[in-house]
Amino acid sequence: MIRLESVTKRYGTETVAVRDASFDIAKGDFVFLVGPSGSGKSTLLRLINRQEQPERGDVWVAGQNVNQMAESRVPYLRRNMGNVFQDYKLLPNKTVFENVAFALEVIGKPRHVINRQVPAVLELVGLAGKEDRFPEQLSGGEQQRVSIARAFVNRPLIMLADEPTGNLDPATGEGIMALLEEINRTGTTVVMATHDHRVVNAMRKRVIQLDRGVIVRDQERGVYE
Amino acid sequence: MIARIAYAFREMWASFRRNLTLTVAAILTSAIALLLVGTTFLIQRAFDNLLVQWRGDVEMIVFVRSDATPEQISLIDQTIKAAPTIIDVEKLQYLDKTQSYEEAKRIFVGDPVTLSLLTPDNIPSQFKVVPITQDPELVRSLSEQYRSLPGVQDVALAEDEFQVISTLSRFVRTVTLVMSLVLLFVAVGLIWNTIRTAMFARRREIEVMKLVGATNWFIRVPFMLEGLLHGLLGGIASCGGLWVLNSAWTNGVAGFKPGTGISSLVVPSGYLTGVMLMILAIGALVGAVGSAIAASRFLDV
Repeated sequence: MIRLESVTKRYGTETVAVRDASFDIAKGDFVFLVGPSGSGKSTLLRLINRQEQPERGDVWVAGQNVNQMAESRVPYLRRNMGNVFQDYKLLPNKTVFENVAFALEVIGKPRHVINRQVPAVLELVGLAGKEDRFPEQLSGGEQQRVSIARAFVNRPLIMLADEPTGNLDPATGEGIMALLEEINRTGTTVVMATHDHRVVNAMRKRVIQLDRGVIVRDQERGVYE
Repeated sequence: MIARIAYAFREMWASFRRNLTLTVAAILTSAIALLLVGTTFLIQRAFDNLLVQWRGDVEMIVFVRSDATPEQISLIDQTIKAAPTIIDVEKLQYLDKTQSYEEAKRIFVGDPVTLSLLTPDNIPSQFKVVPITQDPELVRSLSEQYRSLPGVQDVALAEDEFQVISTLSRFVRTVTLVMSLVLLFVAVGLIWNTIRTAMFARRREIEVMKLVGATNWFIRVPFMLEGLLHGLLGGIASCGGLWVLNSAWTNGVAGFKPGTGISSLVVPSGYLTGVMLMILAIGALVGAVGSAIAASRFLDV
């Protein structure tokens, strides 16, 4: 589903964000990218959804070479990916329903599809009944659930999560992890960047560890260390 | 498809209202620029009424009496052609009475009294003479010679009559054209800035849209429509202004004494309509260009 072949990415001339990274993630996998801040976790995610382009090497997603893809094809690539962030990136002037509907609206889905899929996904993330709230009226955990609902509403092949529990207390974070695991069980590949030991150790999934841009460990059913 | 069009117009309208101060500034600037463009065309057309008989480097017109015989006319023709070193024989043009009357309708468009005195029968026919020589004295001496020929009513020289107007017309055209180009440029810039601000205000939405896979065109179109609307509204406002200006001018000029050249300085309403349509088109173009530049440059917010 996702394959990196000797990928190097530099910011400017000095800072090497990722150096010679290679890995292969199969469909339906659940993978943690771990490492301290600045080790290149976020850059790897941004290379996968082509917010960044590598300097050397190739990134493959669902059989397509992402960095050789025409600019005009990128939106269609991203429709197969859901993105979840530490700071949620919800639109403050839209309700919960509108925030999730927005993701379908802007890829041209008709109203009747939106009216069917949005309540279903809100039900899935446990926010039924809160459709008309605004983000500021929700707790952090609830806001993250809205953001997961928005990422998942189009049933993507891949979920990319960048520190999704970073702003949450441990109990709330566990709830979010349970949700991501449930999404993973529907066959969606999940790649999650985190430096949260507890989460990684509790889940016992594949762990790819980065240190200053270099992959130093790639282990099935790993722990954080 | 319908959902997408509805989305684009809804977003355009929301953004249009959100940023009212800049929007009004952009619309007013394009209105003033377009008003000047329109005025340039109207002034030019009005001057053309006076200059129409001197078109194509004509420097001398020999008016032939309406009761001249064909023999007299052919004698005049031969006399003019007898000086091929001074006169461009190829370009010598004879307007018979019907053609001269058609031309007079244009010259006296704002002077119905004079026009009503003319008929295709009593109007003089005319030879339009284009000289080769650069020496005005040679042309002048020829004109004296022609004046004495039988059947010639009068000889008019461009130098005496219309050189001033022609120079004035060229000057006014240059000044207004330059000013309107500068203002159009300013209008494009203001619309560009308005759209840029609108996009910056919505950078979070644009970021989310890009992440969930909205195409660049889907993101751009509402902003481009917004700029188009600015230009179009400016165009509509300037059409109104142009109409008011032209009506006031036409009414004012109608009070002048017949026979003075000033009353010719009016434009037919058909021409005014044409200029208005053109202004609307230019307005839309200005808006589309300004917003297109902004929308393609500031998508990476």
